[in-house]
Amino acid sequence: MEIRPILSALLRSKVSMILIGLQVALTLAIVCNALFIIGQRFERMQRPSGMNETDTFAVSSVGFGEGFDVRAVQAADLALLRRLPGVVAATSINSTPLSGSGWSSGVQLTAEQKTQSANAAFYMVDDHGLDALGAKLIAGRNFLPTEVGIRTLDETVAPASIIISQALAKSLFPGESAVGKQIYIDDPQTTPKATIVGVVERLQTPWVNDGYADIENSLIQPQMLVIGTASQYLIRAEPGRRDEVMKAVETQLAAANPSRIVGKLRDMEAQRRDAYANDRAMAIILGAVIIALLAITALGIVGMASFWVAQRTRQIGTRRALGATRGDILRYFQTENFIITTLGLILGSILAYALSLWMMQAYQSPRLPWHYVPIGFLCLWALGQIAVLGPALRASRVPPAVATRTL
Amino acid sequence: MLKMTHLQKVYRTHLIETYALRDFSINVAEGEFVAVTGPSGSGKTTFLNIAGLLEEFTGGSYLLDGVDVHGLDDNGRSRLRNEKIGFIFQGFNLIPDLNLFDNVDVPLRYRGYGAAERKRRIEEALGRVGLSSRMKHYPSELSGGQQQRVAIARALAGSPRLLLADEPTGNLDSLMARGVMELLEEINGQGTTIVMVTHDPELAARAHRNVHVIDGQVTDFDAESSPRHVDAGAPVAAIS
Repeated sequence: MEIRPILSALLRSKVSMILIGLQVALTLAIVCNALFIIGQRFERMQRPSGMNETDTFAVSSVGFGEGFDVRAVQAADLALLRRLPGVVAATSINSTPLSGSGWSSGVQLTAEQKTQSANAAFYMVDDHGLDALGAKLIAGRNFLPTEVGIRTLDETVAPASIIISQALAKSLFPGESAVGKQIYIDDPQTTPKATIVGVVERLQTPWVNDGYADIENSLIQPQMLVIGTASQYLIRAEPGRRDEVMKAVETQLAAANPSRIVGKLRDMEAQRRDAYANDRAMAIILGAVIIALLAITALGIVGMASFWVAQRTRQIGTRRALGATRGDILRYFQTENFIITTLGLILGSILAYALSLWMMQAYQSPRLPWHYVPIGFLCLWALGQIAVLGPALRASRVPPAVATRTL
Repeated sequence: MLKMTHLQKVYRTHLIETYALRDFSINVAEGEFVAVTGPSGSGKTTFLNIAGLLEEFTGGSYLLDGVDVHGLDDNGRSRLRNEKIGFIFQGFNLIPDLNLFDNVDVPLRYRGYGAAERKRRIEEALGRVGLSSRMKHYPSELSGGQQQRVAIARALAGSPRLLLADEPTGNLDSLMARGVMELLEEINGQGTTIVMVTHDPELAARAHRNVHVIDGQVTDFDAESSPRHVDAGAPVAAIS
């Protein structure tokens, strides 16, 4: 390998080497960190909500006109929904996972404690709630129809029975079964304890963003929420029939009672897309940045190598005349690129970790895993070699007779 | 050392054929110093390119130091060129970003010599042309005459059997040209065969014999040449 003479020749024309080296360095630093962020976003987007998202959808109803009896309408709607062909289960519900809005409150084990034991999202459903959500009960039992109460903004009747998510159970009662245990889910001075009658494997809170830490701390109450004249239902259709059932539900509910507006028909897959729209946008933007950077770097290498080949045509011919084979010329340009990219990549590795440290301090992001840089190193080495291959092959085809051509 | 018989070089396009060399025969014996002269476009450079294995020919035969070069692949030609031939170009063709040591090192690396052997040869070659004290200098720091000396050192470092010089003094003033010519004569005196293309009659006169080329054919030769270089078996008596 002609590393020493190539390096000393490069050092004689530093500007080009420094420019390409810096480009490679910045590309490595940015690509590694951007890929890491994209990976984190994809991980977030793939977190399961704990419910059946494929077959479920939500629909709302808002009554108008005098004498609109929301409780009677809710009971009639649920009876109608459950009779509809293709409906597996239907429940009234205050909020759904991935919706971005809902209720949450602190829960505590004793009345005396000053700080709350955990924070949890509250879902209010009837005895069909678990079925409609598709949540998997892993301990205890479902609500009984007799346990289901009414909750309005004016009257707060604390439920006697609740079901909690496994994550909340582990946080409240680590290492022991939560079923049968009692906790305060409201003001201990005014409301009695509720008994945990069941635990579901997983149920995400409505909030999936970074600001909400305990994303799987959820609590389900057997209550039908009544606020004004509005109701919200969650319906689970038979597999493959969701869209058909959605249309039927909209038509039937509207026809059943003309004194209300049926709307906000939203399937849970669409809800997931909306919930993670920012993450997806970020991943797409960063992906585009990565592709652009790699393309610019590759084109930079192609451009610089092509320029050098054109500039050194006579020199290449002279080398050929002095005994270089085509392979020797090819290797010369590949080695030259190898040296420049290696120097750039060494600097880029330091920059990549420095950028990660800065993001840790500025945005509390996790540390860049160590393996990203060596993998990026190898990929950019390969990119450099691929990019230089065309110009290097062109150089290897320079005929040795060029050496004797008159300038 | 160099024997071309009925050599032909034709450049073909889809419309015309141009003969650069036609029925070109020459025989250069070991130790000779031959000057090839002729007007511009006569085929001198084509002859030099073919002699130096820089170009292929389209007909006839060419033996270089007993090796029939016809049919050699590109790598074979490169290796043979590296082993047998040293080049001296009109424009010196030094690599501007390499110092003198590394410039002379170029053909030796392609030969595959080890570092110690290369160092010995480089120092010896640069010493022979009187530039051993300037090994770390770059070509731009030298005069034209000195640059041509470096090119000669580069050509000599691999101990070639044949030195091909293309207008070696063409870019030099008369004083420097004289110095380079004396160096070439000295090298030839030590046994290296030299074929020099030139259109300078004064330089050509200092060779053992002249070969004159017009329209791709040998048309004349120098009667003053030494008989020891005559190859009686040459099909075309281009030499005396």
